[in-house]
Formats: sequence, C-alpha cells, structure tokens
Amino acid sequence: MAQKRFAFVIEIERCIDCKACMVACTVENNVPVGHHRNWVKQIGPKGTFPILGMSFEPGNCMHCENPPCERVCPTGATYRRDDGLVMIEQDKCIGCKYCIEACPYDARYFNEKTGTTDKCTACVHRIYNGEEPACVATCIGDARHFGDINDPNSNVSRLLATNDYYRVYEEAGTSPAIYYIFKGGRKA
Amino acid sequence: MIRNKKTKDEIIRYSLSRRKFLGLTAAGAGAAALATSGFDKLQAYAAEHGQVVKTTIENGEIYSLCEMCVWRCGLVAKVRDGKITKLEGNPNHPHSRGKLCPRGQAGLGVTYDRDRLKWPLIRAGKRGEGKFYKVTWDEALDYVAERMLHIKEKYGPQAMIFSTTHNMLQQQFENLLGAFGSPNYGTQRSLCFNAMITANMLTYGFEEPGRDYNNTSYIIYAGRNMMEAISNSETQDLVEALSKGAKVVVLDPRFSKTAARATEWLPIRPGGDLAFFLAMIHDIIKNNLYDKEFVAAHTFGFDKLKQEVEKYTPEWAEAQCDVPAATIRRIAHEFAVASPRAFAHPNWRTSNFVNSFQTQRAIAVLNAIIGNWDKLGGQCPVFGEGEGVELGRVPQPPYPRTAALRLDGVPWKHPLVPLKLGIFQNIRDAILSGKPYQAHGWFIYRQNPLNSIPERRKTLQAFAKMDFIATIDVIMNDTAYYSDVVLPEATYLERFDPLAVVEGDVYIRQPAIEPLFDSKPGLWIFKELGKRLGLGDFFNYKDEEDYLRAQLKPLPVSLEELKKKGRYAPPKEGDKEKAVGIFHTSTGKIELASTVLERLGHKSVPHWQEPPRPGDNEFYLLTGKVALHTQFFTQNNEYLSDLFPENPVWINSRAAQERGIKNGDKVIVESRVGKV
Ligand code: SF4
Ligand code: SF4
Ligand code: SF4
Repeated sequence: MAQKRFAFVIEIERCIDCKACMVACTVENNVPVGHHRNWVKQIGPKGTFPILGMSFEPGNCMHCENPPCERVCPTGATYRRDDGLVMIEQDKCIGCKYCIEACPYDARYFNEKTGTTDKCTACVHRIYNGEEPACVATCIGDARHFGDINDPNSNVSRLLATNDYYRVYEEAGTSPAIYYIFKGGRKA
Repeated sequence: MIRNKKTKDEIIRYSLSRRKFLGLTAAGAGAAALATSGFDKLQAYAAEHGQVVKTTIENGEIYSLCEMCVWRCGLVAKVRDGKITKLEGNPNHPHSRGKLCPRGQAGLGVTYDRDRLKWPLIRAGKRGEGKFYKVTWDEALDYVAERMLHIKEKYGPQAMIFSTTHNMLQQQFENLLGAFGSPNYGTQRSLCFNAMITANMLTYGFEEPGRDYNNTSYIIYAGRNMMEAISNSETQDLVEALSKGAKVVVLDPRFSKTAARATEWLPIRPGGDLAFFLAMIHDIIKNNLYDKEFVAAHTFGFDKLKQEVEKYTPEWAEAQCDVPAATIRRIAHEFAVASPRAFAHPNWRTSNFVNSFQTQRAIAVLNAIIGNWDKLGGQCPVFGEGEGVELGRVPQPPYPRTAALRLDGVPWKHPLVPLKLGIFQNIRDAILSGKPYQAHGWFIYRQNPLNSIPERRKTLQAFAKMDFIATIDVIMNDTAYYSDVVLPEATYLERFDPLAVVEGDVYIRQPAIEPLFDSKPGLWIFKELGKRLGLGDFFNYKDEEDYLRAQLKPLPVSLEELKKKGRYAPPKEGDKEKAVGIFHTSTGKIELASTVLERLGHKSVPHWQEPPRPGDNEFYLLTGKVALHTQFFTQNNEYLSDLFPENPVWINSRAAQERGIKNGDKVIVESRVGKV
C-alpha cells in the first residue's frame, strides 16, 4: 500500500461558523481555555446593502509539506512524519517560540502551563483508532473532512477529484495540506 | 432571618458579578489559581472544602442525552479514570447523527463548573444578599415542605405557584404540582411558541407539522435563525438542502449567519412579515398559482380567504414591510412554481410579537394553498413529542380537584390559549395585583424567571410579594440567588431522567459519573419532597432505576439492555399513520377560515394587524440567538464564554453614524421598563 498522506478538505460553503469544531478540539486535547488549535475566520460582510455576502473559513495547522516551523526549530522537536502530519515532540520543545513566529498561518500557541508550544495534531490519537479528528467528527455543516489523499477512494480524494479548490498562502512555498473547496455560491 | 436553629453553620456568600455573571466571591487561591481545566479547578475547590471529587464509574462509553438545549441529541460520554473526558454525538440518534453542536460539545463545562451548586442552601441574610447556610438535604427538604404546607393550609394550594422550563423531568414536576393541587403553572411555552402552536392547531389540528428537507427545493424562513439557533439535525438538514441547490430565502431585520449563507436575504421591518405573507397569498391566488385540487379536497374557507386577501397587494405590503413589491411578486411566483417541493417554515421569532398569531396563521395558510401537505419536499405529518410508543407508568392515585381559577386567566379570560401552554407573564401580573387572589409561594425548577420573563423589575417586585421561594438548579443563577432555599440538582451527565421517546424509539438519559458533591437527581428530589408533603402515593418508586423499570414494563427490553445501547427501537407496524385528509380540526379539513375563531367572535381568516412603530429616536429592540449560548444558562460555561464572552448590541449602521457611534463603543439602551 502506498504511503499515507493525510490532508484536510474543507467545503467553505458548508461552514456556518458555529464553532463546534473549536469547542470539540479544546475539550478533546485539553487546550487551555483562551488558546485554540483551530479557528473559523469570518470573511465579510462585504457588498452593498441589501446584497451582502459573508462566509466562513475554518482552519487549523496546515500540516505543510514544507513546514517553516520545522526549519526554525533548534532542537528538532518539530518534525514531519511519513504520513504527512507535522508534530511537536513535547519533551524536546524548549519553548523558544521561533516556530510560532515562523508559521505563516498563526497555527501555533504557547502553552504557559507546559512551557512548550502546541498546535493541531490532527488528533493523531483518534485517527489511528478508527475515529475522525474531533473537529471533523462533530462538524455541524459537514464542512470539515480529513483523510488520505494518496488513497484515490478516500472521501478527501473524491472531493478533490470533482471540485476546484484553493490553498492558503501557497506563495509562501509551504505546500499546505488543507484544501478549500469553494463552488461559487455566495462568498464575500 | 428565616431560620434560627443553627449558628455554627457554614455560611456561603455568593455575588452577582457583571462580567463573570456569577462567581464565588471567595475565589480559591493556591491550587485553584494554577488549575487550567474546569475539572482541575473544581477538584482544587473540593480539596479546600475537605471533599474529594470521586466517581464510581471508572472507564467506559456511556450513551445518554444532551441537555444543553431542548433538542436532546444523543451523546456518547467517554469516561476515563472516573472523569468525563469528552462528549461525542451518538451516530444512532436522529437528532445528533454523530455530531454535537458547540453547546453540546461544551457539556463538561456544566458538570465541572467550579461555581456549580454543591450543597442544599437556606437563605441566611436578606433576600438578594447572597448569604446562605450550607445545610443537609433533610434540613432543606423538611423546611421546604413545612413552608409549602403552611401556605397550603392558610391560603389553599392555589397560593403556591410552580414553574419550570422544557426538560425531561417536566412531567414529573407537573406531577408534583398536580398532586399538590395548584392550578398555577408557569412554563417556557408562553414565552416562546404559543402563537405558532395555537395557529397550527387551529389550521391543521397539529402542533407543528414536519418538513421534508431532503427533497425540498424552496424554503422561506422568517425569524428562524437556523444556523445560529441550532437545532442540530434540522441545521444539518438545512446545510445539506442548500448544498443540493435548494433556494433559501430569509426574512430578518438582522444580517444573521443564516441570512449570510441563504440564497437570498430580505431585510424586513419587524412585524412586517405578516404583510409579506398576506401579499404572497394574494398574489398566488390572483395568478391562479395555488393547488386547486388540494384546496377543494382538503381545505375549508377558501372563498373567505380569497375575499380577505384581495386588498393585500404587494404594493400595499411594501409600505408595511419595506420589501419591494416586485420582490414579493417574484418570491410568490418562485415559491408557487417550486411547490409542492416548497415550504414556509413556522419559525420561532415570529411567535413573540403583537401580530405573531396572524403571521403564524398566514404561514400555515400559505403552505396549505400550495398543497405541500404530505408531499415530497413539503410539509409532513410527524410524531409529536413522546408519541409513538406507549410507556408504562408508576401507579398513582388521581389528582385532587382544583377549584380555584388559574392566575394566568386561561381559559376563563383567554379561551383561545391552550390549557397546556398558559400565559406565564399573566401569573406575574396576578401576583402584583393580588387578583383574583394573592399567591404566596413560588416553587421553581430549573428556570430563571428573573432573566427570562421580560421586565426583570416586575419579576423582582413579584418576588418581594412572596412569603417563600424555592429553586432547584445546577448553578446559582439570578433566580436562585433571590430564593429562600436552593436545592442543587445533579447535572445531566450525572443522573437518570424519565425516558425520552423520539420518532417511535426509546432513549435513555443516564449518569456517566456519580453526582458530584451533594447534588441529587431530580427524580430523587421530587420523591423526597413529595413524601414530606404527604404526597408519597404520587411518587411510588424506590429510586430512579425503579421509575425507569416501571416505564419499560410494557416493552420487551430490560433497563440493563437499554443502558448498554442507549436506545430501544421497537418493531414498527408498517408505515406511520398517513395523515392526508385527517386533520384534527372541527371540519376535519385544513381550516383556512377557522371555525373556532369564528365561533368565538373573531375574524376567521388571517388579516393585517398593524404592529407598533418606534417614534423619534426610538428603535425596535430585537433579540436573537447565537450558536454558542442557550438562553440564560450557558454564560458561566468556560468553553462557551471564552468564544462568546459579551452580548453586543447591533444597531443600523446609518443610525449609528448619525449618532457618532462606532464599533465597540459602549452605549446605553433605555426603554419604558429599564436601561442597560
Ligand atoms: S501550518 Fe504552521 S505550524 Fe502547521 S505545519 Fe505549517 S508552518 Fe508548521
Ligand atoms: S463545526 Fe463545521 S460548520 Fe461549525 S464552525 Fe466548525 S467547520 Fe464550521
Ligand atoms: S442541538 Fe446542541 S445543545 Fe441542543 S441537544 Fe443537540 S448537541 Fe445539545
């Protein structure tokens, strides 16, 4: 079997900005209240009254193929796994925060309690146990998807095969692993 | 001083702080300050009070039901080392389908809230001073019973008011009030959906018809912010319908998230929805776009309706609702063309305004004339709450007769209001006026009338007239704060409730952990209180499980099996009853012209009712919902208030500019009844 390559696919038009994904992540991963591993960005409102548009772009660590966070990490705590996930080895992290600065997506935060940085792990403890990441599992709009894009039969591959998509800050050369599908409905 | 027995009791002080909503004043220092998760904080607090947070269930996955709003989604609680670590949506429950909304995800925040009620409390200082004695359950319940019996003897049972809100123990609470013999019962119903239910009853003979999102191609909402006022499965249905290409039109003065994601947003003047719908009916009839066969076969009073709506032209409506006549015409046309795969939603917020009853009737009638009843993509007959399975009952004697008039004036002053719904606000007025008689006590179960009935000042005045107020809740909310006795109920993740029946299947709420501190399940509290009130016969069960066993008796399933799977699905006898042509109205048809209204001397068809307009420098004050909070009981939840900490006021941008108000400014909003 081919090497797994995990990615998120997000259907912009299905997101209703309920933030169930954010609460689920906080609880699942014991993220200190006040910090977050994931987010929902509001775009808009734009337009002229009464023809207004507003949409929502959910996100989290993009698990970049070329992660700048990894390059700046002085201890090798941040590393990229063969399955595509970018992880932080908490024991090796010295809390220098270089990676927080380096990440173009603002995906990392500093955990004062542990003195280390933290970010989305794609709920790695769940996905190898037959569960979806917490944010994906509870997504009310069914906007968030996760899976192996090297498997042509996975839900994510099928979504990418039949839709146009974009990625954020591709110009930074990070090759992020979140693919945003936007079908051309109302978007701000 | 309402109690003289003890002096060495521990006195606990609470304060109502503005920002945090509620917090213990003596904020724990030391360990608590370092703790970051709700559970850690609670544990630290317990340690300071010589208690241990412990549970008997160690590990496992427990199927239960969410109580963060009234939708009651199925959930799976993951328990590790006696601690609930995560809640997931139950994939086998029709309301959750494996997902929980943000409030449902944040449920742990209720159970592990450091500020939750932990012990029974009896007021120590003046009402509203926030000083309480920490007492035992025996002391608290004896005292409540003594006070209630005193009121009953002196003034009769009708002098005790009971009130609660929508919850799975509501029936058992009603049992307590029935047994006690008071006709005075205040519920959420009149604060919420009275107009909608009454209008549907008069039109279809059903409380609320269902809707077939799967096959629909056109939906109109007015005052139903489905993407922020989340009803989990229905919100999921809407997103799916949109993505399959259904057109969704939202009438709302506010640019809500539903408005943002809908196909078309029509900003409308508050109360103008009625004009919009009347004009749609006008246009559809005038252009012969209605379903003639269906109207002839299944409706009553079409000619009267036609005559009435003659004058409601789109041009007339434009002046009332600010939506251009051409737009109304276009929507009417699109809606009729899409029919029967189309429906106008009955909504929620179109149930709270002065002309809401007529609006609801207009919506019900609009759906009827396009013939969308029991059609794919239209409206459909559904099981009402709890219908579909006959559960067993704990045997009990009949209730005593209550001779006294109801303080809410139903039905002797307000014959149209269904008995079950009542008018809560009127009870408060009757307390203040003392007419037709004076009430003296108020027993409140998990409701917050101080915050939830508009005009808090009046509710406080009504409280001041009470000799006795008792509240059961999970947190020291404003109402509990002003009570004489506060009883801590176990949270929904720690207790059994009576069974729930949804779409013909049986679901259980069961504890994922044992109740923390000295909190107790509602079923236990009612039984123990009933016993002390001399009403033990009405609470004829040993404990909660015994109660559930009695409910399960007619079904071939044991409590143990139900606990394991969380659900019992009895074999269904064929298709559910098809309701085409069976409408529980007096004519047996859909009543476009209502025979009941006619009989009571009202106009029988939907008609225009002018809503008030604000004067100079006045505005409509509308309230809305957000996805992260449910009414007044989630503001202390750390996960939710983290993401939605303030309740900002929105104001029309032009009006704001004129007044030099910028985003984030603090403003004072004043009305006849108060100021914030
Ligand atoms: S999104 Fe940021 S934290 Fe995540 S892999 Fe890319 S650079 Fe690193
Ligand atoms: S749970 Fe889904 S729909 Fe809700 S905010 Fe997150 S991504 Fe959007
Ligand atoms: S809609 Fe949300 S809060 Fe309501 S029952 Fe479902 S998960 Fe709980």
